[in-house]
Amino acid sequence: MGRIVGIDLGTTNSLVAYLDPQTGTPKCIPGPSGSTLCPSVVSLDPDGSIIVGEPACRRLLTQPERTIYSVKRLMGRGPADVQGELKLFPFRIDPSSNHVIRVQFGDKAFTPPEISSFILRELKNWAEAYFGEVVDRAVITVPAYFNDAQRQATKDAGKLAGVEVLRLVNEPTAAALAYGLHEKQRGKVAVYDLGGGTFDISVLKLISTGEGDIYQVLSTNGDTHLGGDDIDNLLQAFVHEEILQTDRIDFSPHGELAQELRKELIALKHKLSEAESATLRFPLPSGKPFVHEFTRGALEALIRPVVDRTMAPVKQALADAQLKPTEMDEVVLVGGATRTPLIRRTVQEYFDRKPHTELNPDEVVALGAAVQANILDRGVQNMLLLDVTPLSLGIETYGGAVARAISRNSTIPASAQELYTTGVDNQTGIEIHVLQGERELAKDCRSLARFTLRVPPAPAGLPRIEVKFLIDANGILQVSAKDIRTGAEHSIEVQPSYGLADHDIERMLEESIEYAEQDFAARQVIEARTEAESVLSATAKALAHRNASNLSAPERTGIDRSVAALEEAVRGTDYKRIRQQIDELNHATEHLAELLMNSVLETALEGRKIAEV
Amino acid sequence: MDRSTPTTTPPLVCWNCHERTLGTHFCSSCGKVLQVPEHSDYFAMFGLSRRLSIDATALEQRFLQLSWKLHPDNFVNTSPEERQVSLKRSSELNDAYRTLRDPVARVEYLLAIEGARKEGQTKQQAPPELLEEVFELNESLDELREAKASGGDTASLKQRLETAEKNFRGKLTALDAELQNVARAWDQSLASDGGAERDAVKSRLNDLLNRRSYLRNLLLNVQKELL
Repeated sequence: MGRIVGIDLGTTNSLVAYLDPQTGTPKCIPGPSGSTLCPSVVSLDPDGSIIVGEPACRRLLTQPERTIYSVKRLMGRGPADVQGELKLFPFRIDPSSNHVIRVQFGDKAFTPPEISSFILRELKNWAEAYFGEVVDRAVITVPAYFNDAQRQATKDAGKLAGVEVLRLVNEPTAAALAYGLHEKQRGKVAVYDLGGGTFDISVLKLISTGEGDIYQVLSTNGDTHLGGDDIDNLLQAFVHEEILQTDRIDFSPHGELAQELRKELIALKHKLSEAESATLRFPLPSGKPFVHEFTRGALEALIRPVVDRTMAPVKQALADAQLKPTEMDEVVLVGGATRTPLIRRTVQEYFDRKPHTELNPDEVVALGAAVQANILDRGVQNMLLLDVTPLSLGIETYGGAVARAISRNSTIPASAQELYTTGVDNQTGIEIHVLQGERELAKDCRSLARFTLRVPPAPAGLPRIEVKFLIDANGILQVSAKDIRTGAEHSIEVQPSYGLADHDIERMLEESIEYAEQDFAARQVIEARTEAESVLSATAKALAHRNASNLSAPERTGIDRSVAALEEAVRGTDYKRIRQQIDELNHATEHLAELLMNSVLETALEGRKIAEV
Repeated sequence: MDRSTPTTTPPLVCWNCHERTLGTHFCSSCGKVLQVPEHSDYFAMFGLSRRLSIDATALEQRFLQLSWKLHPDNFVNTSPEERQVSLKRSSELNDAYRTLRDPVARVEYLLAIEGARKEGQTKQQAPPELLEEVFELNESLDELREAKASGGDTASLKQRLETAEKNFRGKLTALDAELQNVARAWDQSLASDGGAERDAVKSRLNDLLNRRSYLRNLLLNVQKELL
C-alpha cells in the first residue's frame, strides 16, 4: 500500500499535507515552486496536455478561454443552478449539458469532477515527488455545508484522480482537529471558516475521556456560495462602474482585461488588510491609466454585505447547539478571507472573545485533513471525530410536502426507516423522491435522487417495503430496501439528480488513464533526464582527473560509447531507455570510480603525512 | 416480578463466524462487530431497561465509550462486508442516542417498540377542550393573512396572536410536565406485574403525544405568520 495524505481541495487554492511520524505534527507539502499553495486553476493546452496551478494561473491572462478557476463552485450542481454564477465568472458551459455541467476548454469539455481530478492529480504528484513513494489514498476536505451531490462529486473527483478517498471531512472540523492538536483546547469551540467560495460555521465540543479526545460537532451551518470570491466580485463591479463612468469603457467579465484587473484588485485587497490606504493604478487600452485611491474604510463599506451574510448562519448554528455567543470557550478563524480586518473585528465583537489565528488560515484545513488521514491509516488511538449532517433529509409525500426522515445536525452515520405499501391492486412500483433541505415543500429543497421501488404484484396495501436511508460518515446517502413479509433485501439503483452515474465514472476513468499515463511518463522523463545530466557531468569531471589515465584503452572506449548512448537517449522521450543507459554508464565507470576513490584516499593520507612532519 | 431488568435481545448468529453469540456489540466468539439484530432495541444498546427516566450524563458517557469502538474510523482497513456491518451498527448507535437523549422522542420510541403508538385519525383535529380557543386562533390567523395581503393594519392583530401564542405555549409547557408525570407512572408500573395498568399508562402517553404534536404544529403556524 502507498502513502496516505490529507488534501484541502479549495475554491482558490488547494493543498496537500501529511502527518510527520517523527514529530507527530501535520505538515504541508510544497510543490516545485516551493509554495504549499496550488492555485485551483486548470488550463488545457492546445497540444492536449493539462496544466494545473501556478503555470495555469498565468494562462488566465493569455488563454482565458482554455483556463478555468473556482471550479468548486460548479461541483454537484446542475446547469440551471449556475446561471447566476455565469454573470460573475468566466465559465463556459457546454450548451448540451443536462444533469451534469460540462465546461468547455476550446474544443474539449470536462465535468467539474474531472477538472477537480486534475488538481488532485497535481497534488498527488507533489506528494509522490516529496516522499519518493506512491500516494494512493487520501482524506479530502469539503465545506461542512456541502450537500450530498457536492460531496459525491468530490468523491468522484478523487476516484478519477486515482486515489481512494478514505473519508470526506468537513473543513471547519478539520481545522478544529489541527487546532486541538496544536493548542490542546478544551470546551466549546466555534470555527468560522470563510474560504474563497464557501462559508461554514461549526460549533464543536472537545471532550477529554479516558480513551482520548473526542471532537464532537454539535451543529453546523453555512453557505456554499459565499466567500472571498464575492468580495472580489463586489470590488470588481465597483471599479467596472467607475471606469464606465469616467472612461466609458465597458468590461465583459470574460475578457483578458477583466482578468488582469481582478488580479490587481485582489492584490489591493490584500494590501488593505495591512495598510490604511492603497492606490489602484490600472493601465487602460486608451493608454491612460485608471487611478483610484482606496481607504480601508471605503473597502469595508463595500464588502460589509458579504460579512453581514455570514452572520445569519452563525446565529442559526448557535441556536441549533442551544448556546449563546458568550458561552463559547474558543473561537477559531479559518480561510484566507478571514485575514480581512473587518471580519476579525465582526467575529470578535459577536463572540466577545479574541479569535484564534495562530495557525496559517490557508494551511490549517489541510493540516487537519492530514491528522484525520493518520487516524484512518493507523486506527483510532487517541482521537475521534464525531461529525454531523448539515442538512435535513426528507422524502416527498402527497401534495409535494416533505416528511423529514433525518434532521440536520444529527451525528453521522445516521439512518431512518420508512415503511411503504401500494395504493392500488397489482401496483408494481412505488416512486420515491429523496430531498435535502430545511424547507417544507419539495420544490424548495434540493433533489437528491428519485427511484422506483419494485414491488411484486399483490392486492393494494399488502406489500410492506421498508426503505432504509443511511447517511454515512462522509455525509453521503445510501439507500436499501427490504420486503418485510419475505425478508428479501432489494438493492436500489439510485440515479443521482445532479451527479455522475457509475457508468459515467467508468468511462471517465478510462479516458483519464490516458492523461495519467501522459502525466506519469512526462514526470519520469524529466526525472530521468535530470539524473542523466548529473551522471554525465560527474563522468566528464572524473575523466578529466589525472587518475583517469590509469584506465585501460578498452575501458576508456566503453565509457565513451556509453556516454554517447546516454546523450542520444536524453534527446528522446523514452524514460525507460534513459534509465537503461544511465545504468549502463554507471556500470562502465565502476573502475573509474575506484581509481578516483584511491586518489581521494591518497590525498587524505598525503595530507596526514604532511601534517605529521 | 421486577420487569426493569435490561431487555435481552434474542440470541444472534454472528455474520462472520456463524456462531450464536452472547455479545451486545461484538461477537463473543470471534470478536467482530455484530450486525444490527432484526428487532433492535435502543434501550438494550445502552444496557438499559425500558425505563423512561434516564440519567443524561451517564447516557452521554456510555455513548462516547461506544463511539470509540463502533465509529467507522475503526473499520477503514477491514473487508467491505465488515465495513458495511459496522456502518449500520454505528448509525444505529447514533440513532439510539439521538432518540433516547430527547425525553419526548424517547416516549415516542418506547410506545413504538411496545406496539402502542397510534397516531390516530384525529391528527388534524383539535382536542375537544381546546376547540373554542383553536377556533379563535385560526380566525385571527386568517385575519392577519388578509390584512397582510391587502396591506391593512396588522399591529393589533399581531398583538392578539402574540397573546394567543403565549397562552398555547403555556399549555404546551403544562402538557410536557404531564408527560413527565405519566412517564414516571410508566417506570413505576414496570415494578408491578399488572399488564392492564401498563396498558393504561401507554394509552395515556400516546394520547399526550398526539395532543403535543397538535399543539406544536399550531404554534409553528402562528410563529410563521408572526415572523
